Amino acid sequence: MQKMADINLESSIPIITLIFLIAPAFVLLYVLVQNRKKKKHIEEKTQMKVIFDAELIKTQMEIQEQTMQTIGADLHDNIGQLLSLTSLTLNSIELDCTDKARQKIDAAIELNLKSIKEMRLLGRLLHGEQLLKLGLEEAIRSEVTWIEKSGRFVVVYDIDGEKCGDSNADKDLILFRITQEILNNIIKHSQANEINIKLGYLDTGIRLQIIDNGTGFNIGDLPEAQKGMGLKNIQKRAEIVGGEVFIQSTPGEGTFIDIFIPYP
Amino acid sequence: MLRYFTLNTTVETLSFVIAFVCLARDASPVWRRMILFLFITCVTEMLGIHIKRLYLADRVHVHPNVWLYNILLIFQAGFISSMFLLILNKYTNGKLIIISGLALLGVLYVFELLSHGIFAYNNITNTLMSVLFVLYSYYYYYCLLKNDKYVNLTFSPDFWWIAGALLFYFGRTACNVFFDILSLLKPDIVITYPIYKVLNIILYSYWSYSFMCRKWLISTSKVQFQ
Repeated sequence: MQKMADINLESSIPIITLIFLIAPAFVLLYVLVQNRKKKKHIEEKTQMKVIFDAELIKTQMEIQEQTMQTIGADLHDNIGQLLSLTSLTLNSIELDCTDKARQKIDAAIELNLKSIKEMRLLGRLLHGEQLLKLGLEEAIRSEVTWIEKSGRFVVVYDIDGEKCGDSNADKDLILFRITQEILNNIIKHSQANEINIKLGYLDTGIRLQIIDNGTGFNIGDLPEAQKGMGLKNIQKRAEIVGGEVFIQSTPGEGTFIDIFIPYP
Repeated sequence: MLRYFTLNTTVETLSFVIAFVCLARDASPVWRRMILFLFITCVTEMLGIHIKRLYLADRVHVHPNVWLYNILLIFQAGFISSMFLLILNKYTNGKLIIISGLALLGVLYVFELLSHGIFAYNNITNTLMSVLFVLYSYYYYYCLLKNDKYVNLTFSPDFWWIAGALLFYFGRTACNVFFDILSLLKPDIVITYPIYKVLNIILYSYWSYSFMCRKWLISTSKVQFQ
């Protein structure tokens, strides 16, 4: 009988020990589980950073590409034409007729001055990326100047409020590219002749509003591929910096795009 | 000689050997001091067995081995607190809490010694020390979770060293608290001893593993620096 009691007591020792150790063992388990979650969270953050960096590089390349396209088109359509005309004018000069020659030389000088002016504007565009160093406002202003130069659009560009605090170069780059994409869409598809751009500085971020008086569209009717190229790209870019995009468009009544990005 | 090797002393000696192999060339003096602490623990345990034998043979002239464990308490408080300080300092300034804890233990230790002499065990100091170590352990885990940096806990010597300390001192505190109830289960044999044995195995296994992790980490960093 005594032996039985001893055996029972011996078998109860591990159970008693286990009961005593339940609380600390649970804490250890909790720490291990939480640590694993922390690892997963860090991995997700790293992956998001990689995606963000890749998107930034892509954005930079797109801005460069757009700059090169604009320069190419301008050299061909504008400066090239002016220089050809200058050359033609100079070739047609007859040295015997002094008065006519004088007129043609003046015309050639005027054409040449126009070319120089155009070249200067082109030079500024070549520094398009540098413009972002002067700030988002200036970069957008350069885009506006370029669009106005075509004579097809009346552009109103307003800046509301003042930027306080530090800049965020990455967000500036993304927002600038979004602006470029929206303006490209307006130029290519909207048939608008008025564009309103409003850049507002809020306490919590930046709000960019772009309104045009073009043909507008029904968002639901857009083919998936077209959405992917334009609007989805804008949406994706805004989301990557924690922003939101609101698009309102009615056929025949233009388009209103509102973007909010937390800043800095 | 073999009679000095009980389950407890065997586990402690094994842990001492592992500590010696793994920590002898450790860069941190605090970790290296663990070898000394385990050596003191092994010697104390064996001396304890020897004195117990002498006492059982001559209860009139020989005192029980309790005084020896009272001395060991000082080393335990010192060495283990310094380890906690080293580990906690990685996350926060642990100086204040560790020094305050040591001061409290010191005062209580002297008070107990003065009240009942060295031949009775300093139970309150021992219990308070266990509680403090449990709290330090919880504080470490709190800091670990709060910290943004990820640590691979599978190979973290700090984590396993504190896990051993937490399980051991928590179990021991629980045993101390329920000592009276546990004694009722079998009055002629103190039931807490077998539980202490289990706790000892847990403590020294975890510590040995943490020493191995420490050694493994040092070899890795050597390879990286070459």
